[in-house]
Amino acid sequence: MLYSNELLAEVGRWVFVSMLGTPQYTRDRCITGIHGLDEITRGGIPYGATVLVGGTCGSGKTTLTMEFLVHGAQMGEACAYFAATEPSVKLLENIRQYTFFDMEMVDKGLINVFDMDVVYSWLGLTKATFDRDDINSLVKAITDIVNTIGVTRLVIDSVTTLCYKIPNDQLIRDFLFTLGKTLATQGCTSFLVAEITSAGAKAHWSSFGVEEAILDGIMVLGDIDRMGHLLRFLQVVKMRGTDHSRAKYAIELTPMGVMMTPMLKWGVDSD
Amino acid sequence: MIELDQRIAEQLTEITLNSSLQVRCGSSNAFLVTSSMIEPLINEFQMGGVYISASRPAPELIATFTEIGIPVDSIQFVDCVSSALLGGTENPYTNISYVDSPIMLESILLRTLFHLKQMPTEQNFVILDSVNALAIYNEERMLAEYLHTFINTFRARDVLSAVVTVPDQTPPSVLANLDLYCTDLIDRGQVVIS
Repeated sequence: MLYSNELLAEVGRWVFVSMLGTPQYTRDRCITGIHGLDEITRGGIPYGATVLVGGTCGSGKTTLTMEFLVHGAQMGEACAYFAATEPSVKLLENIRQYTFFDMEMVDKGLINVFDMDVVYSWLGLTKATFDRDDINSLVKAITDIVNTIGVTRLVIDSVTTLCYKIPNDQLIRDFLFTLGKTLATQGCTSFLVAEITSAGAKAHWSSFGVEEAILDGIMVLGDIDRMGHLLRFLQVVKMRGTDHSRAKYAIELTPMGVMMTPMLKWGVDSD
Repeated sequence: MIELDQRIAEQLTEITLNSSLQVRCGSSNAFLVTSSMIEPLINEFQMGGVYISASRPAPELIATFTEIGIPVDSIQFVDCVSSALLGGTENPYTNISYVDSPIMLESILLRTLFHLKQMPTEQNFVILDSVNALAIYNEERMLAEYLHTFINTFRARDVLSAVVTVPDQTPPSVLANLDLYCTDLIDRGQVVIS
């Protein structure tokens, strides 16, 4: 069968247009400023996303999330850090060793650090476990802080410690869903830190197994045991609203902050 | 006092900043060859750089370089040996950072990139001493992969990289990869590989 020149031209045009691609909608990005991370997420975290940063102990969760806030503060954004695992004084003492951190950012109110214990006291949450009303008032308190200060970057370190006070999975799910939705509505990009015991292939990426399904993104930090030496890694497992690399990256906590490079493919046996 | 190999200095005048040098030496002349390379880079070309010492502890290198008149102020050492020796990190030098083991290849690369970011000099070099020391700890294919990443990382950043190797003690596939990726060769090896 012979095709007319017009038909062939039309097919050619269609192929050409397909190759060019139609203009794609891309979401605004929150530039983390962390070495390598914006390349991994192809331009930054989608604006307003709530990202779970799950990691084993000593894997660099606090440094990474604090650096995320520092870069925001450097661009004049108001940032909030909710410390649930260690007192803010201790946290700031530890983070001061990094050259990227400047105590002036705290003094100027660009980085606002809150002790969760103090927040609980404000709200009168003295019980060992929280019920739905307690959770609602906690979400409201966080939202009020975000609104009042105009927070655009937020970290809760860790959401695991906070969720230990919530007695069942359904309430944890509701809490995270409501919190994520509210923060996104306020245009606040958030990192929720989760403590995990293993970052291997068969491990859960969150402490309770419910967080990972609800939140917009999951970043895992862990260690690879290479002949008895622990090598830190970061992997972006999920990030809604952006194409992203899912490879493992070796990370190093330098005085200038987190630095990363692709992990050698022949050396990626994890725990 | 050792007599430096002036032909190496002459050869260095012909290379560009994004070159990757394969530096072949023998087991007995390794220090002479590396010194002959560093001396003109520092004194003649006013470059700064990072020296990755996997063959011997950095304090030993610093002492010897200083003794033969090579200033080490503009060199940052990444020492992969001393951490394994208890007490090895106790020394007065501030331009040494330590990596726990030569098996932490990615850490070596990241530490090097970190130091390069802080270098006040405009033109910089990275010297990896040596492939053979890394080969003691690392599997052949991982080392080949690493060298591929290593060389390309610095070429992309316009940093002169030099990889020191003793060819007759280097795994053949690693040597073949070096031949492929490196742009220039300084050959002072005792065995000539065709």
